[in-house]
Amino acid sequence: MQTSQAETPAPADKKSKAKRPIIDCDIHQISGLEEIKPYLPRHYRELVEAYGPAYPGGMHFNGGVGGRMADAYPEEGGRAGSDLALMQRQHLDRYNVAYGILTGEGYGIQATINYDYAAATCSAINDYTIEHWLSRDSRLRGSVMIPKQEPRLAAKEIDRVGGRADMVQVIVCNGATLPYGNRYYDPIYEACVRHNLPFTIHVGLEGEGINSPPTGAGYVTNYIETRCARPSTMAAHLASFIFEGVFERFPTLRVVLQEAGVLWLAPLLWKMDQEWKGLRVQTPWVRKRPSEYFREHVRVTTQPIDETPNRAIFDSLLDSIHADETLMYCSDYPHWDYDSPKQALPKLADGLADRVYYDNAAELYGLPPREKEAEG
Amino acid sequence: MSATERRLSDSRRPDSAESMRPAGSSDKRFRAARVSEIPPGSRKIVEVEGRSIGVYNIQGAFHALRNVCPHQGAELCKGLVTAAVVSSGPGDFRFEREGEIVRCPWHQWEFDIKTGCMVVDGKVRTKSYEVTVEKFGVSVEEDYVMIHL
Repeated sequence: MQTSQAETPAPADKKSKAKRPIIDCDIHQISGLEEIKPYLPRHYRELVEAYGPAYPGGMHFNGGVGGRMADAYPEEGGRAGSDLALMQRQHLDRYNVAYGILTGEGYGIQATINYDYAAATCSAINDYTIEHWLSRDSRLRGSVMIPKQEPRLAAKEIDRVGGRADMVQVIVCNGATLPYGNRYYDPIYEACVRHNLPFTIHVGLEGEGINSPPTGAGYVTNYIETRCARPSTMAAHLASFIFEGVFERFPTLRVVLQEAGVLWLAPLLWKMDQEWKGLRVQTPWVRKRPSEYFREHVRVTTQPIDETPNRAIFDSLLDSIHADETLMYCSDYPHWDYDSPKQALPKLADGLADRVYYDNAAELYGLPPREKEAEG
Repeated sequence: MSATERRLSDSRRPDSAESMRPAGSSDKRFRAARVSEIPPGSRKIVEVEGRSIGVYNIQGAFHALRNVCPHQGAELCKGLVTAAVVSSGPGDFRFEREGEIVRCPWHQWEFDIKTGCMVVDGKVRTKSYEVTVEKFGVSVEEDYVMIHL
């Protein structure tokens, strides 16, 4: 639906809307072994130099070129997502990105059974991100990578760097050993609440390493199947949060769902509300309609935005998920399924566009309010 | 290479200007490159009338595409040029029309370089332009690739 059928598509920069400031909630700075090695303690540095990273990931072929936009590789060589200047030129400056939330790469470390190595690697990623990205562009904010498979070590890492003003959320992969509402993870949520950081679930690592299979029916063959299965994993996490009572135990906790799509949430909310009417007695600690917890505690980022058969369905589903409160734009730069700030979403009404492209994220992450566009 | 593939212009206009605009015609022709600049299997991205256009040489025949993907506006002509992949069933991969398909650098949507049409949905297309190879005055040794806007 978002596809322009015109022979000559609209140019990328068309008058006033180019000036709309944007908060992009998912930008991937590279954070692979080469980048973080200097930040590892000697023991692990020597091991990875001798052997390599030793964590899972890459079970399927990704899309694009190495999983990246083919035009995001620096011309002078190097890897996509490694060059701040290119990111500024190609994305931040070009689209008036006021703030960009960096989400890193290589969540494989969150699927290894070696907890201590996972913790050391997460610390290295965070230190690298602070020094090489956050300190070099004041628009950027970071995500705390945690060894989520060992919640006590995860909480320790959140306490170590989560108090920084430039770290604005805690990030985990969608693939997990237990759904995220399980009380096993409580030390993580206690730390999130201590530092007022949202807990963000980003797709990836489903079925890899120690994580559970990517579908309830088992493993799938092709990457496209994995992509199609991601919403079901994320739906399981969301239902788990609500029905295990996480939001009752942690009334200020916020959760962000990232990159599993958006519009599937509408029928899930309807279903949860419907089931709750008859089954509420089994989870009486769930005091409100499930969709109310969603509205109050959960945010969802746009990319990859679902393409519907027509505009009416799109608008109706956006209404159903309370997009004016819950939806936040993101691009996924420089990954191959990048969503252009200008053309990924159909044109939204001005008020809604302000909420989706800026205000919802600013409120969640405590960023300065949007400056009114000068040209009106 | 056949004459039809190369689509040589039947009229060799005497003009030597950079661009020629036949009066009352929308068929504006612009020099994109010298033939030798775009060898078979390669492409050149040129700027014509404010438009970015990719000019491809597929086995000696020239084709021109608007350098914009109709999906989200990426620079289509910076994408990989490859074949159409077809199959009789799982695990079977066959390649047809080698070098005739460009994949968008972002989401890898496939387009037929010869028509600008998306492989799986021909209604989604980017603009394609007529291309001719022409020779100018006797002082010019080499042929030019001309784009017709």
